Amino acid sequence: MGSVSAALPLPGFGARIAAKSRVDYENTPEGALVRRVQSGDEPAFREVVERYQSKVFSIIHGIVRRRNDVEDIAQQVFAKVFLSIGSFDFRSSLITWIYKITVNECFDYLRKRKVRKLVYESDLSEDEARRVENIEPQVNRQDPADASLARRDYVLKLLSRVSEEERMLLILKEVEGYSVEELAERIGMNENTIKVKLFRARQKLVKAAQRLDRAPGAVTG
Amino acid sequence: MHAVVTESLEEYLAGELEPAARREVDSHLGACRVCRQEVAGMRDVSRLFGSLQSGEKLAPGPGFYAGVMRQVDARKPVPLFAGLFNLNLAFGRRLAFTSLMTLAVLGSYLAAREAHYPEGPSPEAVMAQESSPAFDTASAHDQMLVTLAAYER
Repeated sequence: MGSVSAALPLPGFGARIAAKSRVDYENTPEGALVRRVQSGDEPAFREVVERYQSKVFSIIHGIVRRRNDVEDIAQQVFAKVFLSIGSFDFRSSLITWIYKITVNECFDYLRKRKVRKLVYESDLSEDEARRVENIEPQVNRQDPADASLARRDYVLKLLSRVSEEERMLLILKEVEGYSVEELAERIGMNENTIKVKLFRARQKLVKAAQRLDRAPGAVTG
Repeated sequence: MHAVVTESLEEYLAGELEPAARREVDSHLGACRVCRQEVAGMRDVSRLFGSLQSGEKLAPGPGFYAGVMRQVDARKPVPLFAGLFNLNLAFGRRLAFTSLMTLAVLGSYLAAREAHYPEGPSPEAVMAQESSPAFDTASAHDQMLVTLAAYER
């Protein structure tokens, strides 16, 4: 799979779609708000937080699924937004930029949690580790909620094998339901570029899924 | 994957393709095994993304914004040198300049002192003296033995 497309320069893309001009985000009301935040206006930053907090909460909850941690991660996201808004260059919409920071923060959190778990388990004796395994909730594949959790873990594993940009594009397309046209507008790229990037990202996911499914003890949901 | 599929892949996977275009893609997939397998794999993976949708609507707590600002304060970078000594930048620059000047004056003083040391004969002159026929090798040999004996003691 993928051998044909890997050998060809993706001839299908661009045949029908003409490249669209970029949206000038700098000269929108949102752009004016960002300019205020960039100049250190704290009430303007508060407005940004209030405008996008529910979206950020929903993204984090979708990926992390731990209600107790959602607020902490969201605070870290907005702190990063505040500290790096100076580098925001209006090439994409503000929400797309915040979305990227949010997804990266979630994956950082998951990576750290995994490392903590590995360190903790490495400190246990074999008997203790077995006991902990028995305490951890067992996944019941018949239960729809457990099946959904297993699917979530599986797709997160796949997403950890693509680049940050590909991950964000895939989540915006598949979870948020943006069309290629909307993605192009919000990210500040033309539609052909978005289509090529999505295609390559999907190819990588399929390959990663094949590798995971071949691995012993694989859960495919 | 062939162009007929790649061109409308996103719309095809999202089920948003016009019926005529969809028939065209389906008919190609019926005939091309490579494209069929690749699209099937992509569709399977695409279905998994539904599990990332958050069913619940979570609202931030009352202290959320204050918590954000606490995080901002905790993450603000502290200027290392100036922060340690609570110096402003202009004073720090003046301090650095003065230190450099002091170092330069001390260096030139030491160099000047070095120049006053008495200079002995150059190595070339010593070698020329030893190779001349008038050079007394016996007394030089004795002199060397005396020096070695003194060193031993």
